[in-house]
Amino acid sequence: MGTRGLIVVCVVWAVVVGAGFALLYIYKARPGSSGTPAAQWPADTRLALDRTRPNLVMLAHPQCPCTRASVAELARLIARVGDRVRAHVLFVKPDGVDASWQDTDLWRSAAAIPGVTVGVDELGEEARRFGIETSGHVLLYDATGALQFRGGITSSRGHEGDSFGQRRIVALLTTQTPDRADAPVFGCNLFDSNVRRSTESP
Amino acid sequence: MTDKASALEAILKRATDFLDQQLDRVHRQTDRMFMWLMIFQWVFGIVVAIAFSPYGWSGKERSIHMHVPIAIVLGGALSGLPIALTILRPGATITRHVVAVSQVMWSALLIHLSGGRIETHFHVFGSLAFLAFYRDWRVLVTATIFVAADHFVRGILWPESVYGIANPEWWRFLEHAFWVMFADAFLILSCIRGVQEIEKLAERQAQIEALSDGSWTGPALPAAV
Repeated sequence: MGTRGLIVVCVVWAVVVGAGFALLYIYKARPGSSGTPAAQWPADTRLALDRTRPNLVMLAHPQCPCTRASVAELARLIARVGDRVRAHVLFVKPDGVDASWQDTDLWRSAAAIPGVTVGVDELGEEARRFGIETSGHVLLYDATGALQFRGGITSSRGHEGDSFGQRRIVALLTTQTPDRADAPVFGCNLFDSNVRRSTESP
Repeated sequence: MTDKASALEAILKRATDFLDQQLDRVHRQTDRMFMWLMIFQWVFGIVVAIAFSPYGWSGKERSIHMHVPIAIVLGGALSGLPIALTILRPGATITRHVVAVSQVMWSALLIHLSGGRIETHFHVFGSLAFLAFYRDWRVLVTATIFVAADHFVRGILWPESVYGIANPEWWRFLEHAFWVMFADAFLILSCIRGVQEIEKLAERQAQIEALSDGSWTGPALPAAV
């Protein structure tokens, strides 16, 4: 192969590799459904509202690999704000799965975060009460039960690192004023495609 | 031209030949090392994708996660050309520059496949150290340009993926590139010194051969012939 042929091969290679990375970035930047988060702490939830401090709720799919980054970021968030917030992580357990469904590294990682309460959300009832449809979605309520923040705490799908969501939650918990009260959420759908109520993106 | 001058010229040519042979040997050896590394990284990328993100989920429904085909196809493309060139054109300049580009893009791919873990970012610096095995500082420049270009383009199109904020200053990519250049500074110095050592060895070898075959009968030559 001559020099010209080699240059053509290299250019084609660069285009193929560039297109592959573009596909990857598009996939990772596509947010999940923002759902319709409850503006007030749901009256019928089994979670008790801590009236002495803000309350954070994360709903998660126990098998979702993207949520690993959300849980890792939750651990960093809790390390920064300590006991200024009461945090819950609920893993959705759909109908017809056995007990091993939520026995995953995600559950263990969430349970290992100091001060975080981990539980099972049977049939996704709590997710519906809170209006959440995407794994890794975080809601922050103040001590009176009013919604302060809704969204994800990762910058893209399954990617650790600083994010708008985490920064805004930290601002709210440290009496600063965040620029916004929401953030895009990245993760798997909590419900089967035939039972999702909305696919609206933020 | 006197006999002495022509003998000296012959020694210089012989020293240059030795230098070229030695550098070619280093380039070919390093090409071979990268060929295996490219194969390893491809397999490793697939294993990481399958082990950590095999499926995407929608409730109980699962589908193959995007990371798996990306690791197979994009990883295969990333490694394919460098592997082919190290086999078909070992020692060629184009081969090591393609290897350099591929290697830093492998850093980017592994960072994504591992979910952006901070630890995976060290792959960038390990790769620069590996590339320094070529003892060709231009290869490090190529790698650094691609690291900076990747950050620059993503910093414009998708800034939060690089910096975690939406409106970074336009020059933020230079801050990341600075730390790469910091590593480069030492590696480039080591490349230049490595080549200088080979040059000295080549000169000595040429002198010894000239003395042993009787083509040079004068006094011992200085280090820089």
